[in-house]
Amino acid sequence: MKVTETTTKYRAIRIRLRPIRVAEVSLIAFFAVVTGLPLMFLVVGSFNLAAPGQSAVYGLANWVRAFNDPTTVSALWMSFFLSVARLIPAIIIAVIFAWLIARTDMPGGNAIEFFCWMAYFIPDFPLTLAWILLLDPNYGLLNTLALQLPFVHAAPFNPYSFWGIVWVHTSSGGIWFKVILLTPVFRRLGAALEEAARVAGANTTTVLRRVTVPLLSPMILAVAVLSFIRGLQSFNTELLLGTPAGIYVYSTRIYDYIHREPASYGEATALGSVFIITLGALLFLYWRYLRSKRRFTVVTGQGYSTARVRLGRWRYIALAACVSYIAMMSLLPLIFLIIGSFMRRYGFFHINSPFTLAHWKDLFGDPIFFLALKNSLLIATITACAGIALYSVAAYVLVSRRAVMAPVLEGLCWLPHILPGILLGLGILWLFLATPLRFVFYGTIWGIALALMVSDSPVTTQAFRAGYLQLGADLEEAARVAGASWGYTYRRILLPLLAPIAGAVGLMNFGGALTSISTPVLLYSHESRPLAILMLEYSVTGELERGAALGLLITALICVMMLIGRRLGLQLSGQQ
Amino acid sequence: MSFGESDTAPRVLEFRNVVKRFDGVIAVDGISFSVDRGEIFTLLGPSGCGKTTTLRLVAGLEEPDDGEILIEGASVAAPREGIFLAAEKRRLGMVFQSYAIWPHLSVFENVAFPLRVRRESFDVVQQRVRQALETVGLAGLADRGATQLSGGQQQRVALARALVYEPAILLLDEPLSNLDAKLREQMRFEIRALQKKLSLTVLYVTHDQTEAMTLSDRIAMVNSGRFEQVGTPEEIYERPTTPFAGQFLGRTVVLEGTFRKSPKEQWVELSGGNRVPVDVASANSLTDGALVRLIARPEDVAILPPDKLESTQLEAAVEQVDYLGDRFEYYVRAAGALLILTAPKKDRYAVGAKVRLGFDPARLSIYSR
Repeated sequence: MKVTETTTKYRAIRIRLRPIRVAEVSLIAFFAVVTGLPLMFLVVGSFNLAAPGQSAVYGLANWVRAFNDPTTVSALWMSFFLSVARLIPAIIIAVIFAWLIARTDMPGGNAIEFFCWMAYFIPDFPLTLAWILLLDPNYGLLNTLALQLPFVHAAPFNPYSFWGIVWVHTSSGGIWFKVILLTPVFRRLGAALEEAARVAGANTTTVLRRVTVPLLSPMILAVAVLSFIRGLQSFNTELLLGTPAGIYVYSTRIYDYIHREPASYGEATALGSVFIITLGALLFLYWRYLRSKRRFTVVTGQGYSTARVRLGRWRYIALAACVSYIAMMSLLPLIFLIIGSFMRRYGFFHINSPFTLAHWKDLFGDPIFFLALKNSLLIATITACAGIALYSVAAYVLVSRRAVMAPVLEGLCWLPHILPGILLGLGILWLFLATPLRFVFYGTIWGIALALMVSDSPVTTQAFRAGYLQLGADLEEAARVAGASWGYTYRRILLPLLAPIAGAVGLMNFGGALTSISTPVLLYSHESRPLAILMLEYSVTGELERGAALGLLITALICVMMLIGRRLGLQLSGQQ
Repeated sequence: MSFGESDTAPRVLEFRNVVKRFDGVIAVDGISFSVDRGEIFTLLGPSGCGKTTTLRLVAGLEEPDDGEILIEGASVAAPREGIFLAAEKRRLGMVFQSYAIWPHLSVFENVAFPLRVRRESFDVVQQRVRQALETVGLAGLADRGATQLSGGQQQRVALARALVYEPAILLLDEPLSNLDAKLREQMRFEIRALQKKLSLTVLYVTHDQTEAMTLSDRIAMVNSGRFEQVGTPEEIYERPTTPFAGQFLGRTVVLEGTFRKSPKEQWVELSGGNRVPVDVASANSLTDGALVRLIARPEDVAILPPDKLESTQLEAAVEQVDYLGDRFEYYVRAAGALLILTAPKKDRYAVGAKVRLGFDPARLSIYSR
């Protein structure tokens, strides 16, 4: 009876301070501040005619001005057209790659898949620089070579164009991302479904046409919609290639509004709001579509198909095609980026001593470089570690049956998905300007790290959530019954078991923080400038060769990271 | 409804009108029972009946919505008084259906975990883990990775982990359901031996009637969140108080008819004018003309060669015969109902054969319908 008395005494505390409830409420509060508030500031701010930090005057003038400007409307259309134009070739190529890797007897499929992972992590900014060096109408190597031909009288290639942007995107991460997403889908398509069709008398082509593709079409469509939405958020390539030609998408337009003297925050937020609403509607439809297609989850079917389509002689041709696509779209630009970083003037091979180490020496001699390197490593480390700690707990709360406000938390976790980097940066900038948070975060590495961490929220939370669901509740409950508190269980059971996931998302977020430009571009100051921004500054101020050197350095960092990840046994291909 | 046993025995676990709902759906519907020290108490029922929820309520993995749970006389959960003792503070041992062996820890570390949580000294941990592993017959495997074990070995590790700190109650949640038939039989025997040796108090959850029958001191038949009947295996098998209890534990044959009684005798009238006399106590409360269900165990119904019918016999025809190796299974139609009976191999009846079914009036259960 003694125990009864003691437990009775503490009952009030126990009921009120249930740890999971505390975690839930604090997470919701956190997300509300770092995602909800910026979003609100963006939308409300678009009606605010006063400069940030000053007392608000509300009106429609920002909207009127923004949409009376024909370039604003055309920027929105351009975002849409560009995203569609790059989507179609990318999906076709990705489906072919995924099918060849997963469903045919093409040799070297695993190596190709691993390479797709590597290529996915090549940052798009250096890649764009590389294509500029190859295709620039004045000094681009391919143009110079083409002009040697007798019948060519004008430079045939121009990267500063609609199709130039599409072309560069066809070589950058987006396409490899689709391959990475689709290959496991192709691989896991329940073998029995195809075998049943075969037993029923269908031949290879009929099976492909009548069973495989119809079964996979919802997934392919889902990947396409996701890619389309991500395409709308693109910034780097459009900034480098579109701006010189006067091609603006909404993200470069916002960048332009903010970088004007004086900055037009009002128009920027008005444009951002329209975009957020459009994107929100698209994502909602996408989510609805995915839900209605739940019944198509045959991709998680039990039996893996071991029977592959025999390509015969064609398998070597297919391999050659894959290898040459990768070589042309990823290796070739990188090689010429390396060459470019060692050339006195890029493309000028005929001058005296065309090669020089000057750009690398300048880079390493620049004190700003070391400051930026330190900033970047700090930002990336903070982003990755804090993200793991925070989102692993958020995912835990989401899978827990005891969470009463799970839908609210989940919505807040997903919110950054509709906030492209530039808008997230803008919203968080407003948050810093309008609240006391500015003393810690405004223009500091902490502010940048916070913004990057927020942008990682959907994917990281999702990864941990999948991990928890796969673990099941038993392992945790066994520890609780054995006498371990939640904290002890989390440290000794859950975190070690989720270490592979934590490692994988940690590396991804680290790499993302290292290469992100659009998120920190509105938030950095001279003291907190990260490497990627330094690279942008070099590139837009005419020091393309030094920018190339820095781009290569960042790419090398990412590659080393990926190799370490692979060495640590992180899963980079579905076959392992 | 209460199934308390004698008041003198020390109660290790007690439920008082415990209620648990999930999103308004009732899972445990006001259950009261108690488990005595050194007893194996089994919750037996179909899946979704609330037996696992009951076990999880004991473990502290679920919070009850009403009622009170006491462990060794102390209240561990009483929502009306705001009492809820967390799982880790209840000093229980639990074996999960999936075993829940932590894959990143060795066998030794898995078993040592409860001791490490309690900050036991190095020597105590070494000694108690060795002892626990020996008890379950895994003495040589301490340094193995947990994932290198077979299902049966994992089961033993889970058992050792649950026993290593001498829990007040050992909770077993369908511990044998993932093992193959041979191993299941062996583990059943070992669990029983272990329980006797260590005089453990065990709360056992299963849907398998053989496990329940062979392991339990007492069985609670659980159905839709309620206890239908609590008793020794023999009591429940021989004298099921509800049709559910009778049908779930063991097989039954069922005949429907109308109850008749006269001052001298009572019987059930079946279709086609057949009648079966009954003389069980439960029939006393029935009125003449009540619609009833007559239930018997198949082994209590004899299949006899055709002859003159006696009063306790029915005429029947064989519709199907299945050969089961050690016996025959007959599908027999009598009084309009299809009955499944078994018979030893020495008797053999062909499909279509006319037979007699002999009932034992004392071994029939009767329920109104």
